[in-house]
Amino acid sequence: MGDRLLDIKDLHVGFRVFEGNLRVLNGVQLDVKQGERVGLVGETGCGKTTTVKSILRVLPMPPAQITGGRIMYRERDILEMSRGAMTALRRHELTAVFQDPLQSLNPVFTIGTQLRDIVKDSAIGRGKRLTRRAVEARCIQALRETGMPDPERIMTNYPVQLSGGMRQRICIAEALSTNANLMLADEPTTNLDVTIQDQILRKLDQLVEDKGASVVMITHSMGVVRDMTQRVNIMYAGNIVETGPTRKLLKNPKHPYTQGLMASVPKLTGEGVSDGIAGRIPNYLEPPSGCRFHPRCPYQMSACSDEAPPFFDITDAHKVACYLYGGEK
Amino acid sequence: MEGEERLGDLRATLIQKRHGLARGWYKFSRNRLSVLGLIVLLIITMAAILAPYITPYPGHAKAYTNFQDAGKPPSLEHFFGTDRVGRDIFSRVIFGYRFSLTIGIVVLALGVAPGVILGLVTGYHQGTWIETVGMRITDIFLAVPPLVLALAITAMLTPNLMNQMMAIALVWWPWYSRLVFALASSLRNEYFVREAELTGASTLHIMFKEILPNCLAPVLTKMTLDMGIVILLGATLSFIGLGVQPPKPGLGTMVAEGAKRLPGEWWGTIFPALAIVVVILAFNLVGDGLRDVFAVEEV
Amino acid sequence: MSAMSILALEELVKHFPTKRGVVRAVDGISLDIAAGDTLGLVGESGSGKTTTAQCVVGIYPPTSGRIVFEGVPIGMAFKQRSKELKRKIRIVFQDPGSSLNPKRTIKQILSVPLQVHGIGTRQDRLNLMNHLLEMVELPPADYLHKHPQAIGGGEKQMVAIARALATNPRFIVLDEPTSALDVSVQGKIINVLIRLREELGLTYLFITHDLSLMRNVATRVAIMYLGKLCEVARTAAFFRSPLHPYTRMLLSSIPVVTDEEEVLKPKKIVSQGEIPSPVDVPPGCSFHLRCPERLPICSEVDPEMTAHEDGRVVRCHLFNGSERAC
Repeated sequence: MGDRLLDIKDLHVGFRVFEGNLRVLNGVQLDVKQGERVGLVGETGCGKTTTVKSILRVLPMPPAQITGGRIMYRERDILEMSRGAMTALRRHELTAVFQDPLQSLNPVFTIGTQLRDIVKDSAIGRGKRLTRRAVEARCIQALRETGMPDPERIMTNYPVQLSGGMRQRICIAEALSTNANLMLADEPTTNLDVTIQDQILRKLDQLVEDKGASVVMITHSMGVVRDMTQRVNIMYAGNIVETGPTRKLLKNPKHPYTQGLMASVPKLTGEGVSDGIAGRIPNYLEPPSGCRFHPRCPYQMSACSDEAPPFFDITDAHKVACYLYGGEK
Repeated sequence: MEGEERLGDLRATLIQKRHGLARGWYKFSRNRLSVLGLIVLLIITMAAILAPYITPYPGHAKAYTNFQDAGKPPSLEHFFGTDRVGRDIFSRVIFGYRFSLTIGIVVLALGVAPGVILGLVTGYHQGTWIETVGMRITDIFLAVPPLVLALAITAMLTPNLMNQMMAIALVWWPWYSRLVFALASSLRNEYFVREAELTGASTLHIMFKEILPNCLAPVLTKMTLDMGIVILLGATLSFIGLGVQPPKPGLGTMVAEGAKRLPGEWWGTIFPALAIVVVILAFNLVGDGLRDVFAVEEV
Repeated sequence: MSAMSILALEELVKHFPTKRGVVRAVDGISLDIAAGDTLGLVGESGSGKTTTAQCVVGIYPPTSGRIVFEGVPIGMAFKQRSKELKRKIRIVFQDPGSSLNPKRTIKQILSVPLQVHGIGTRQDRLNLMNHLLEMVELPPADYLHKHPQAIGGGEKQMVAIARALATNPRFIVLDEPTSALDVSVQGKIINVLIRLREELGLTYLFITHDLSLMRNVATRVAIMYLGKLCEVARTAAFFRSPLHPYTRMLLSSIPVVTDEEEVLKPKKIVSQGEIPSPVDVPPGCSFHLRCPERLPICSEVDPEMTAHEDGRVVRCHLFNGSERAC
């Protein structure tokens, strides 16, 4: 594990809509070190996809506005980069896998065409010109690495001819074929059957390990994040509320939201299901002042509505944004 | 109390509708051209309604001759000039808009409802003989070019405004049938329709209360865009003499009369033709804007 | 069929003939559901669990086999079913976004089953709707006049449940009712469902792919694979000692969140290969291609269901007395 690869500092993103301004991201702090696998866990509407899109700079800019913060990639601010620099970054350093492979794969081209395009593009960018045979070999190798049976035949197939699991494997193959440094995986296995999900996550784990890549794994599943990541960030309503080493954090969640989430997850031990967390995610037009979770929090104090809490240290690596753990009470 | 209950219902619905309208306007107004189109339409409509009061020479819209003033080019007294029998073209154009707008409204009123109903019925019964019969009838009407069919019908009957409108309506309904068929047949697989079926709701209920409300947006957009085409079709029929008859100031009729005098007395044809273009363009712009209003936004 | 059974499936088969071949969605399943039970039906894609539910509710008539409800055979499409039957068996769909008509208010949505079944007078119906919403813990004043878009996913699903309850049913099919929802919302719905089952004497057929959820909701669990049942057992016993290799593969693949659960999972069985399509079912035991414990007989002969203690049934050569590998 090396130095910092990605460092999001105090990111604020809003969306302009008819009713006003949706203040979605409210000062997101997130960092990823070289070779690390970091989880970003949150429920629908918490802003995780907005965060990913901000990193890739693919937010639709008329409704979206980045109103503050920086996204540092190896000492350079992604938000300040020129178009050319950003394209180069996307080509060589960043890669992404999304939830629905049918949307990521072009239905009218064969897998081979799409994969070759990606390989050629990345190689040319790095100043190498690959022969056709070399490109083909690279594609087959990428497919084989993800555990696809019969890669040569797959190259001639169209996406609709394949199952969901195979399509997602192809997306992962595409993502890893560029030898990128940072992979953003946005709910990559949510739509898949559980046995297939297991296979794919293991494969992804192994491949990432082999290449020494870093991963930001975005998911709403605590179980997936527990298996796949070394560190995890819990996100609520546009803020990271808790961050720390995955297993330790899940065993001992400190933030009331994290505690509520962990209690809500049905467990094999069979103790019944908790009633969930009362209330709803806030309205981003008029979000709660201070800590955005405070209206739903069973431990709400007066300080919580005044100002959003900073991170307080539980241990060196485990931090919580909650006044229960620091600050004047 | 039941009365109070209904009032509560009504109030809640009105509040929602008002909010919906406000949001709709916001989306519409982001498109400047559509707003321009709307303004133009409003002006034209007001002008057409108030024609007898605002045109400089309202009498010229009827049988009127004044050969002394015939063939005069555009001037301050006659904005669009005069035609070969001395009538003020500007006033006649404004009156001409009355015919155009009437044609548009009546044709759509006559043609849309049957088309929509047929579309609903065939769409819901997709895969059965009802669909086959209904869609084949639709196909037959669609197979004949609209102009030709309208021509044939008006030629059979006496050429006048009413028959012209009926002819176009007869040609127009199949497009709505097809549109609603496509919408209804995909909607029928939605869970909420399934649920209504499983509960035991009647077919009428499902078609009109569950499916139809979800079809209205595309139908409204199409109606707006169609106004322009219907007006054009009406003008075309008048142009070839099968629609509004002289001396009535139909826009197409005026274009035909003025055409004989081209290129010398160009104002006789060009201004009525431009008037047609403007109204069609306005409807198209508004229709485009409506499409944006109904499009589902994703954030 | 036992005396207490409210719904029984007897060799239910549903095949769909298509251009590519026959889709053997449900390929002969037999199940008993006792009144007051929650039967959890679990399976992955192509297992046939949704098709089974659809046959029970009447979306499709079975290709063969019987469905018996309260002692009466009901294996026909809903168009042929009596109104009384439609009143007694109800369904809650997976996607709350599309199971409520976006252009209607909640009041209008709830009034449909009431009107269709002629329940009460107009004034009664209003009271009933209020009562229904209260049963699912949604304050009526806030919700009756809203459109579905104005409320959250969890609340929409509550409305769908209220709608299912509107006809005072006996049996409710729940097709992945919380799969599309966040986990923090899921709990409340599950607990409401459990409470209502007790209060109203309901029986549920609960379909899901989430085994952890099943552990906390179902009284009996049935696992399906490619249209056939693999194993059926009472919940606690099932999770304590799963027998069928597919069941163990499923359980060992679930991502869990606590160390205590890890201990409960069976030894890791790495699943290999893709799930076959129901158009192309492997011969013999349909699972044999992916089974880590397959025997030679498995590729030839489809095993029979055998009964074990405490009402458990398993369909596997390892457990039905044929040659065993040790």
